[in-house]
Order: sequence, then structure tokens, then C-alpha cells
Amino acid sequence: MILLEILMKSFWSGVAAIGFAVLFNVPRRVIFSIWALGALGGLIKFSAMQCESGIVFASFLGATAIGFASIQMAHTKNSPPLVFSIPSVIPMVPGFFAYKMMLGLIALTGIENTDAYMKTLMETVNNGSKAMFVLISLSTGVAIPMLLTRKESIKKSKFNKNKKVVV
Amino acid sequence: MRLQKKNTAETLKMKRLKEDAQSVGNILIEIGAALMSSGASTHRIRITMERIAKGLGYGIELLITQRALMLTIIEKDQQHFFSRLKRISPHGVNFRVVSGISHLSWKVMEENWTVAQISDELNRLKSLPHYPRLVILGLVGLAGAAFCHNFGGGYIEMTVAFIATVVGLFVRQEATRVKFNPYLCVFFAAFAASLIAGLAGHFKIGAEPDKALATSVLFLVPGIPLINSVTDLMDGNIQNGMVRAMNGLMIAFSIAMGLFSVKMILNF
Repeated sequence: MILLEILMKSFWSGVAAIGFAVLFNVPRRVIFSIWALGALGGLIKFSAMQCESGIVFASFLGATAIGFASIQMAHTKNSPPLVFSIPSVIPMVPGFFAYKMMLGLIALTGIENTDAYMKTLMETVNNGSKAMFVLISLSTGVAIPMLLTRKESIKKSKFNKNKKVVV
Repeated sequence: MRLQKKNTAETLKMKRLKEDAQSVGNILIEIGAALMSSGASTHRIRITMERIAKGLGYGIELLITQRALMLTIIEKDQQHFFSRLKRISPHGVNFRVVSGISHLSWKVMEENWTVAQISDELNRLKSLPHYPRLVILGLVGLAGAAFCHNFGGGYIEMTVAFIATVVGLFVRQEATRVKFNPYLCVFFAAFAASLIAGLAGHFKIGAEPDKALATSVLFLVPGIPLINSVTDLMDGNIQNGMVRAMNGLMIAFSIAMGLFSVKMILNF
């Protein structure tokens, strides 16, 4: 039952990824790959969350997986990695926490009572720090594989061997 | 007499070299501007432009910022150079251009393309069509519904999120078309989307209306500015990274303002 739920959630993550892919006008031939990457990221994130690893680390794992897979895709489908990675990582953006934080901040402006103030403040800080760290972990997770493989892939590429450098 | 003839030949050659450097510089700066306005990271712009310049036999020095691009192109014996500064106008993200220019740069290396070929290809890439508007609206709406499902909403909330997202995106497209300030466009879109989701909550449609409300504005999240910002910061392009982060924060703030206005109106 839990497995089915995770699969459903990853399927819908892929759908969300396609929505953003169309919004960013990606080439038509990579749309299915983006769905697969989004679903992969969702699968890893929700599985990790099922293992109680916390949303920040789970998002980081999912984003890193998307980063590595997008570099592989870039080689097979001949498009730059960011075309794959950015649309498929956006479904993991912590919108709900950011929304909660915003509501909390607005509520804080109107509260006088100290106890209620402390309670709202705690919730707001909790939601806000979750949102912020998930965002940071998403973007570093996507960026790290690009930084790691860049040197290697440029050296490996076949164009580098037989071209004559003029400058 | 002979000396004079030699001189004319040399002047002609110099003139030709200068013109070559000019045309190459112009096409390179066009490519860089297209990449920046369609959402590539600073390092990608730099390596792509350097690759094309190398393929054509020139060296370049670059200054890349969010809104302007500065290029000096140097001929191999360092005698003829050409500088140009170009302002970049933001067009909105277009990964088709990013992908196509990446292909183009490899073709320049591999097949020794000429400047005219590059220019034709660039014009073709810029004129490539977007997806049909209804397809965009429908798929982004589905993405909103998908967000809602992943945050735990049921089918009624998903429908609400779908409708709210479609309307919000429509408002954003129309606002962009009549050239409002980009942040104001985001504000209008967030306002429209959350107003619809909020009204659904107001009339008690669905069990958890706040989930539909929170996810109806998620299609506006500044994903590209924020992710590119971190990429740039890690590449050492601190300035560009900060500018992009600030841009992303401004967009997030506009979304928050839209939600806030709806909250004031409906008072939930």
C-alpha cells in the first residue's frame, strides 16, 4: 500500500516535471526523458522520506540522482544537462512549507499574546528553515554532479582529440 | 611602385581581417545574449562562446552580467581586435535555444561552419515555435494538480488546483503580453490563482482547501533563477549568482504579496 502510494507520487512528480518542461519550451524529443527523471527523483525522495531520513536529506538525494541521470541523458540525447535537470527538480520545491512560513509571518504581525506568539514563531521558523534548506539542497544536489563530471566529460569528448586548436 | 603595391595588399588584408573580427564578434555576442536571456548559467555561456570562437580561430575575453555582455575578440597575432558591449533583454526561458546553440557550437568545431552558416542557424533557432498555448495551459495545470496530489490533496483539491493554475498562467501570459513589469505579472498571476483556490475554500469545496491554495501558485516558483544562482555561486561567478538569487527572491516576494492580498480579501 505504501509502495503504491510512493509510485503514485512519483508518477505525479513526473507529470509536474512535464508541465515545467513545456513552460520552458524544451525540445520535443526530450519530454519523455524529463518525465522519467522527475519520476526517478520523486521515487528516491519519497522512498527516503519513508525511511525517516527527513525532507531535507531526502530532497538532496533525489536532486543528486536527477543531476547524475541528467548528465547521462545529456550524452544520449544530445542536449545540455540543465535542460533535463531543472524541469525535473522543480516538483520537489517545498512550496507548502514556504506557504506556511509566509502565513506564519503574516500572523506574527497581528499577535499580542506572548504564548500564542511563541507558538506561531516556533512553527514559522520551523517551516521557514525547512523550506530554505530544501531549496539549498535541491540546487546543490543538481549542481554537484555537473561540477564533478564537467572536466572529465570535456576531456572524454571525441571532438577534443582530432581538432586543431588555432588560438 | 612595388613598395606601394605591397602596401595596398597589406592594407587590404588588414581591412579584411578587421571585418572578419567584426562579423565574428557580432555573431558571438548575439549568441551570448540569446543564451543569457533563455536561462543558461554563466559558465555555460562562457564555455559555449569560447568553443565557437576557438572553432573560428579567435580568442575572446568576456565579461558576463545578467543584463549586459561585453566581449573583446582577439585575432591570433594580437593585432586586430574588436570590442562590443550588448544589452541583454530578458525574453523568458527557452531551452530550445539553449539546446540548439549547444549543438551549433559543436558543429562549428566539427564541421568548420562559417559565420554565415552560424548566423542562419541562430536565426532559425530564434524563430522556432513555442508549444501551442492550450497545450502549455493544460500541462501546467496538470502540474499544479500533481503538486496538490504530492502534498496530500484529494481529487477535489486537485481539480481546484488545476483550474487555479490554468487561470493564473493565463493571467500571467496576458500581463506579459501587454508588457507589465515582470514582478507585477507574477503578482497578478499569484493573485488570480490564489483567489480562485481561496474562493473554493471559502465556499467549503474540498476537505483541505489550504492544500489547493498552497499548490495553486507553485507554477510561479522561480526555479531557474534559484538553481542557476547556486550553480553560478559554486562556479565562482559570485556577482551573477547574487543577482540571480536576488531576482528569485523578488519573484518569491511577489508571489507572497499575491497570496497576502487574497488573504486580506477573503480573511481566512
